[in-house]
Amino acid sequence: MQTSPLDLAKQLEDEGYLIDQEAATTLFLALALEKPCLIEGPAGVGKTQLALALARAEKRRLIRLQCYEGLDISKALYDWNYAKQLLRLQLAKTEDWDEIKVDLFSEEFLLSRPLLEAILSPEPVLLLIDELDKSDEEFESFLLELLAEQQVSIPELGTLTSKSKPIVLLTSNNSRDFSDALRRRCIHIYLTYPSLEREIAILGSQAPELAEGLIKDVCEFVGKTRKLPLQKLPSVSETIDFARALNALQKVELNYGDLMGTLSVLLKYPKDVAKLEERLKKWETEASYKR
Amino acid sequence: MDGWLFIKLIHALRQVSLSISSQDILDAQTCLIRYPSLPRKQLLKSLLVHRPQDVGIFETVWRIVVESNESYETEHPLDITSNKDSDENQNSQGFGGQGVGRGSGGISLTAIGDIQDLSRISKLVPFSRLEELIGKGIEFEEVVKSALAEIDYYTWVNSFDLAYQRGTLSEDEWYTHQNTRSSILREIREQVLMTQVGFDNSWEPLVRQHWMFKSLSSLSEEEKELVRSSIRKWARKLALRPGSRWKSYNKGTIDIASIVQKSVQWDGLFLRLCYRHKMPRAPELVVLCDVSNSMASFVEFLIHLVTCLRARFRKIRVYFFIDAVWDVTEFVWDDDISGVKQEIKSWGHKVSSGFSDYGAVFKELAKTKFSDVSSRAILMILGDGKNNYRPPQSEYFAEISEKVGKLFWLNPLEVKEWFETDNVMKDYKSYCSKVYRCRTASDLQRIVKDVF
Repeated sequence: MQTSPLDLAKQLEDEGYLIDQEAATTLFLALALEKPCLIEGPAGVGKTQLALALARAEKRRLIRLQCYEGLDISKALYDWNYAKQLLRLQLAKTEDWDEIKVDLFSEEFLLSRPLLEAILSPEPVLLLIDELDKSDEEFESFLLELLAEQQVSIPELGTLTSKSKPIVLLTSNNSRDFSDALRRRCIHIYLTYPSLEREIAILGSQAPELAEGLIKDVCEFVGKTRKLPLQKLPSVSETIDFARALNALQKVELNYGDLMGTLSVLLKYPKDVAKLEERLKKWETEASYKR
Repeated sequence: MDGWLFIKLIHALRQVSLSISSQDILDAQTCLIRYPSLPRKQLLKSLLVHRPQDVGIFETVWRIVVESNESYETEHPLDITSNKDSDENQNSQGFGGQGVGRGSGGISLTAIGDIQDLSRISKLVPFSRLEELIGKGIEFEEVVKSALAEIDYYTWVNSFDLAYQRGTLSEDEWYTHQNTRSSILREIREQVLMTQVGFDNSWEPLVRQHWMFKSLSSLSEEEKELVRSSIRKWARKLALRPGSRWKSYNKGTIDIASIVQKSVQWDGLFLRLCYRHKMPRAPELVVLCDVSNSMASFVEFLIHLVTCLRARFRKIRVYFFIDAVWDVTEFVWDDDISGVKQEIKSWGHKVSSGFSDYGAVFKELAKTKFSDVSSRAILMILGDGKNNYRPPQSEYFAEISEKVGKLFWLNPLEVKEWFETDNVMKDYKSYCSKVYRCRTASDLQRIVKDVF
């Protein structure tokens, strides 16, 4: 258990995740109040990585529920094992029906999905509900009971309350807004692209094989690129890939003139690559003036 | 934290439409007591702000309620009009060769170039001067403009623009300047707001500046992005909402074929009922937008909404008009609406006189464009109804109204302005299914819920 946000940041750093002070404070408060934490931000800023690092830091097993459109209770919470129930019925043709019907809907025939697994787990776990914005509104409403009371209701069994108080983290890319009811139950963190210094530190820890000069050049270049009106801005993982790509090409520093052909590692849309290529010429001229 | 100050803060935040529950207050109190060493602002922001877009308003309220309370004495003696600062105005030349001296005392941005120390921004305009401007009863935006003009903001901005265009400013310097520019704008707006809140002794000025309630034409780039992102969210919500054809029962209608198919799993027994998937209704949508100068900023948001909704309709047609009509439907199929913006800009110069003529437009539409429109179609018209004293030719509007299923008019003007002498709303209103005021994001949200 952490004693301060600084302590939490240190633990996460040991697990390879660098967090800023504001986000560390918010996460620390969420852990202290035992409340779910909703992490929002653009794709690739490290929302899921934060959950993974926290699970390692807290030494908890990670249970992950990846959300998508059409996700329902039978895939997220529980389902009955129909095949096993049928087998049980086949075997029990001569038995008393009253006994069987109770037996058929017992935990033995229950298939636990990630949410139920987190609730029933005897050891402490971290439940990551990833990309919740991709799921439907019905599913979001269903989650309210779990988030507020750490319990779920199964009509045939009743209410099941968590045994080990899981840490619950939810992530979202903001493709849709959530209801006030859900937001009220969570502590909210908004992660954005890291500052230059932080990104240099991240690259230093994630790709130690890279030369310091190259890391600095790449981070400055990516920082500049993020100021352009692109369809998708480069994420931290793309910065790392881009730096590694330049390293593979034996570059020890970044020259605007040598980047043609490597930009598709950084940007994912041809329109964006074209925009950046156009801008590179200007940056190159500016750089030559400076020299 | 002082209990009275805490209550004042909570009250103020609720007044400016932040949703704070009793549980939030309890959590905040618990943490304030349990972790006295944590920065109070950070702690309360973490626990009371649940939406990223509310951070800005929290910061402003915090400044007004907490910081102004605590640091009034330390902040005000440092008035920028002091002699020390006026030294900067002597014999200095601004960036790009503009803005030499002012002659009226006060600080001039043209004299000091780009401000690196952002804490200095807050001292640019004296508090007493803001009070004086607000006391005259001028509108918020006008006060901001006056305050900016007083510090030579516009000359300063022009000089940097010129320098950038001439190529004497590098892109890095340009970005730094842009940051300073937006910091100054934000700071001045915040100061005017703080003064206005104090002057009116009410939170109303702050509520009016919430992006949801601001006129769509006066939004900043960040606020525009918030509105666009909200539109995407509303549109997504609508995409999930079933159409009226399958609304008879919550789950839809029973699907016999699927039930039989499923029953195979259980030895032919019907254990589970299956329902038909809900299908969204898909009528035709026709959008007509007045793109004359006063309307351009509103059109952008409506087109964005239509772009987000395109999957929901079988057919969408979009027309722009000023005094004649032209078809821009092709631009709606692209997520990037920069093409639409370009069309709005170029149209006025190419064909139009630049002055709206609704009568002529509806005549052209009724005669040429509406022959094959579905009778179930929804027609949405975005226009202020200002007809420049030209004839309304209501008979053509009536004809169009009869041809379509529903006709909605979205007007960015205040209701009382609809009945001014050169406005055609009074002639057309009776033929519309409904006329909405569409001035703010909040209005647009209401329309989305009502119409689609």
